[in-house]
Amino acid sequence: MTLTENLFENLRLELRRGCLTLAVLAQLRQERYGYTLRKALADDGLVIDESTLYPLLRRLEAQGLLASEWREEEKRNKRFYRLTPEGEQIFAQLLQEWHAINASIQATLNTSTNSTL
Amino acid sequence: MELLDRYLEAVRKHLPWQRQDDIIAELRANLEAQLDEKEAALGRPLTAAEAEAWLKQLGSPILMAAPYQPQQYLIGPAIFPIYRNVMKIALTWCAIIYTVATATALLIKTPHLSDFVHAMTDVPVILLTTAAWVTLVFAALEYAVAHHRVKLPAMGAPPSAWSPGALPHLDPNGVSGGKSRTYAKAVAEVIFGYLFLIWLLLIPKYPYLLMGPGAYYLSSLPYRLAPVWIPAYWCVVALSVLQVGWNALNLYRGRWQKPQPAMHLVYKTLGMVPIILLLNAKDHAIVLLKNPALDQARLGATLDGINRSINWSVALICAIAGLQLLWGIVQLILNVYRKRAVAGR
Repeated sequence: MTLTENLFENLRLELRRGCLTLAVLAQLRQERYGYTLRKALADDGLVIDESTLYPLLRRLEAQGLLASEWREEEKRNKRFYRLTPEGEQIFAQLLQEWHAINASIQATLNTSTNSTL
Repeated sequence: MELLDRYLEAVRKHLPWQRQDDIIAELRANLEAQLDEKEAALGRPLTAAEAEAWLKQLGSPILMAAPYQPQQYLIGPAIFPIYRNVMKIALTWCAIIYTVATATALLIKTPHLSDFVHAMTDVPVILLTTAAWVTLVFAALEYAVAHHRVKLPAMGAPPSAWSPGALPHLDPNGVSGGKSRTYAKAVAEVIFGYLFLIWLLLIPKYPYLLMGPGAYYLSSLPYRLAPVWIPAYWCVVALSVLQVGWNALNLYRGRWQKPQPAMHLVYKTLGMVPIILLLNAKDHAIVLLKNPALDQARLGATLDGINRSINWSVALICAIAGLQLLWGIVQLILNVYRKRAVAGR
């Protein structure tokens, strides 16, 4: 991997990190267990490694944003996650922030495009 | 699947022991669901090669387990600014205390050059030991903050009552690359350097130029300067000639604007030569009796006292000059590093 590719990869991971949390919180407005959550994210175009997603769920639970419950489904015990009330509140705030950042970047890009024309 | 069991057992070894069972149970449920889906899509169980390829794609057991470990820093970003400030203060005070203590210890006895060399070579060890202790204390603090939620006072934050007017003034010499020197200052340096050189050359013949009327009093005393003063004196003269010559050359070439820190270091280094010569005087005799055969018995003890006092003073000057030189070298290296960093951007 060249230095530029390495730099891009680091910046891409940094950019993705916050977005992944937001995407996971968005998916867990509905109760899911790890594998179905990963599939749902991948179906929406956000492929995420097992070694990233499952520890992330643990961290979000430790922070009080998610609640989990072991339950049997299809003869297997699975750990289901969903947003806590605090998680819902934080998710709404983060979503608002994300929209604002998105709008700002879009506005900046539009200004730059207009000034170069 | 046996390979999955082996994989999960390998992951378990790298997990935090309190949560191993819980994490492995969850991972097993998720991975088995994934495996079921793969096998349902194929309509048959995975072959050994396919299972191996799938597990390889998941990542090595250590990589799979690593994100479950709590994030741990030796010194984390929350306390790092405080650590850096404390380190600076500790190293500065350590250098000051060590210098004072060493100088005092050297002054108690008649210093030898080897004592100075020893004292100087001890500096890195002392500073490294201090740095290690500061790091150890902060690593323990980081551990306490991370594991026991110890609340830190806002030591790292700047005081809220700071005033922009209290900020330090800019360096008038423009060492950081700011202002350049004036032509008048460069000319004055050459003129006064030349006058100083003439004054210096006249001193052996007209000592009152250095000591005023005291020269006549001193000439009546039974003491004289030791021969070691002659090479020391000519070293000072040579250094003055070099300074005047270099300044005049710079003026002639129109290169007086920018300060030349490397040349200042050369002056400081050469300036230590006469001091070291005096420190190495034979039997530490810097002052001798004019007529030892007559006066040794009567004035020998006084002479020893005089020589000891002068040796102490020269030793102190040597220590200060050595530290200044060291500081100058550090600053020069830092400036070169900064310029390279700026050029590399």
